[in-house]
Amino acid sequence: MSKMTKITVIMLVISMVFAGLIFANGGSETAPAAEKSKVIIGMATDVGGLGDKSFNDGSYQGLLDAKADFGIDARVVESKQQTDYVPNLSGLAEDGAQVVFAVGFLMGDALIEAAENHPDTSFAGIDIFVDPSKAPKNVEGLLFKEQESGYVAGVVAGLLTKKYASASDRLNDDNVVGMVLGMDIPPVERYQAGFYAGVKSVNPDCKVLSVVTGTFTDQAKGKEAALAMIEQGADIIFQIAGLTGLGAINAANEAGVAAIGVDVDQSGVAPDAVITSAIKGITRAVYLTIKADLEGTFEGGGNKVFGINEDTTGISPFNKWDSIVPGDVKAAVQKAIDDLKSGKVVAPASRKEAGYEG
Amino acid sequence: MSGIASILNTDLLVATIRLSTPITLAAIGATICERSGIVNIAMEGIMIIGAFFAAVAALYTGNPWIGLLAGVAAGGIFSLIHAVATITFHLDHVVSGAVMNILSFGIVRYLMVMIFGHPGTSDAIPVGLKAYQFAIPGLSKIPVLGPVFFDQTPIVYMSFVLVILTLIFLKKTKTGLHLRAAGEHPLALETIGVSVYKMRYLGVFISGLLSGLAGAYLSIENSISFTEGMANGRGFIALAAMISGGWSAIGSFVAALFFGFADAFQVRMQVFKVLNIPSEIFIIFPYVATVLAVAGLVRKSRPPKADGIDFIIEKEGA
Repeated sequence: MSKMTKITVIMLVISMVFAGLIFANGGSETAPAAEKSKVIIGMATDVGGLGDKSFNDGSYQGLLDAKADFGIDARVVESKQQTDYVPNLSGLAEDGAQVVFAVGFLMGDALIEAAENHPDTSFAGIDIFVDPSKAPKNVEGLLFKEQESGYVAGVVAGLLTKKYASASDRLNDDNVVGMVLGMDIPPVERYQAGFYAGVKSVNPDCKVLSVVTGTFTDQAKGKEAALAMIEQGADIIFQIAGLTGLGAINAANEAGVAAIGVDVDQSGVAPDAVITSAIKGITRAVYLTIKADLEGTFEGGGNKVFGINEDTTGISPFNKWDSIVPGDVKAAVQKAIDDLKSGKVVAPASRKEAGYEG
Repeated sequence: MSGIASILNTDLLVATIRLSTPITLAAIGATICERSGIVNIAMEGIMIIGAFFAAVAALYTGNPWIGLLAGVAAGGIFSLIHAVATITFHLDHVVSGAVMNILSFGIVRYLMVMIFGHPGTSDAIPVGLKAYQFAIPGLSKIPVLGPVFFDQTPIVYMSFVLVILTLIFLKKTKTGLHLRAAGEHPLALETIGVSVYKMRYLGVFISGLLSGLAGAYLSIENSISFTEGMANGRGFIALAAMISGGWSAIGSFVAALFFGFADAFQVRMQVFKVLNIPSEIFIIFPYVATVLAVAGLVRKSRPPKADGIDFIIEKEGA
């Protein structure tokens, strides 16, 4: 019996050593020792982690941009599971970080808890809504009008799937487009509602399908969801599902149809298939927030909403599709952006507003 | 309800196979393992290890077949930790399995950072096994069954063959009989001069190879890159498939198909919007179906008698 216990302990120690190595690596990557004089800016990623070529990477880039411009000491800690959120955020604050970023909607409660425990540190939560009536003064929510990016991407999809379907072999005449969703959380819903409205604004008869996969890490599920819609004639798949969505883009590529990426320019995943990406200027928002804090204009206790007027929503360049997308579509995109900027068009922020029975 | 009718087509069955293949492979592996008397809940972790090494090898050699071998080998080698812990050191099987699952996350995260510079997802491999999809002439022309069973990708074909091989191995071969005896009545086996330890090592190792193959399917056949968390609970579903399949190869295969079908079906229900209910209901449907299947069938299914029971040889004079 004691032998069994011993082995158990040894195995647990081994696993902890590995866990420790990970943590050390995540920190040391960007944090050379003895930079005490520099301002420390910390960031705790969501479970998807760096390397998602999307959300977390986009946030990290903002940190790197600020590092390049302001010479800050940038530190990143990655969350392996949801129970890591509070320790990671608190740990960064205890390391002396001046601003701590929480990346992702799911970290909302953890962010508030960490902010309450460390009143002298500024906290900012990407995609996290901070309730101004309850939240402590040192925390700010950074929100985006994803519906605007979704809307512009929807205009592209709505026109290409029917009117300009002859532009590429990857498009068909079925007039169907599809969306693959990760978890059904507010930012994802905003993309979805905006995309739906964008498609319908230029192509009222278009059939807009969507599948919720319920996960942000399962490529096989994303692929399956995309294929199920491609079987029904969908020729453009808009992925709003993080790593799950890489499977959706892969499926579209293999099936010979087109895809639209999300959050950052995902053209690199499959250059032939990805028309464009609905982007969210997380990078810029992180950069602007750090800048504001360094200049002493950080405003806590509420939310900052980034939209098309701050150049933080919209779509990425067409890249390989630049020569395929007709000029009329590009003109329509510009018009949609102008209308959103002037307020002539307001993209719906929920399925209910969009009238979409998704 | 024309929606329901249009869901029930060949595409649904092809999707069923796609979704059930990794579960089938892990479940028949677990069947062999548990038949030898070792409880194995580490398929999830072994699958992740297999998926990771398959992707890395395919990426650096540019050859997905080498990736496949690497994934299978990595799964087998990793599973030996479980074998050493439970057989040689008599550690509780469930404890060791749980540690294996945690360990796999740590190893992969560490190696991701070392190799790719970041965790999350690996770079895309140049060629996946999907490129080697081939239709068997003649057979693939059979309506419905043709495209489902005879126009498939390599690992899917392998899974069909492996189900049959597992069946034959357990029922018809001498080694299979010895392996089953190790799980039913180890003392009797030892009495006739066959090492229980050897049989149990063999059982764990085979299950490691098969779970590694399941992982390779996920990363280099179904996808073209490795993503942390891509097993997404399939190892545990395989466990459920093995139990509701009554610790038999065919039973595990059928149970895995059932789960794959439930998952493929719910996706299509969402596409067709047959029922206007919250998406969460659809997402949990395959899992609820699995729980019901296990709860409903588990009474009839019987585990090997000495499954999970430690075997210590009392040596004379020791």
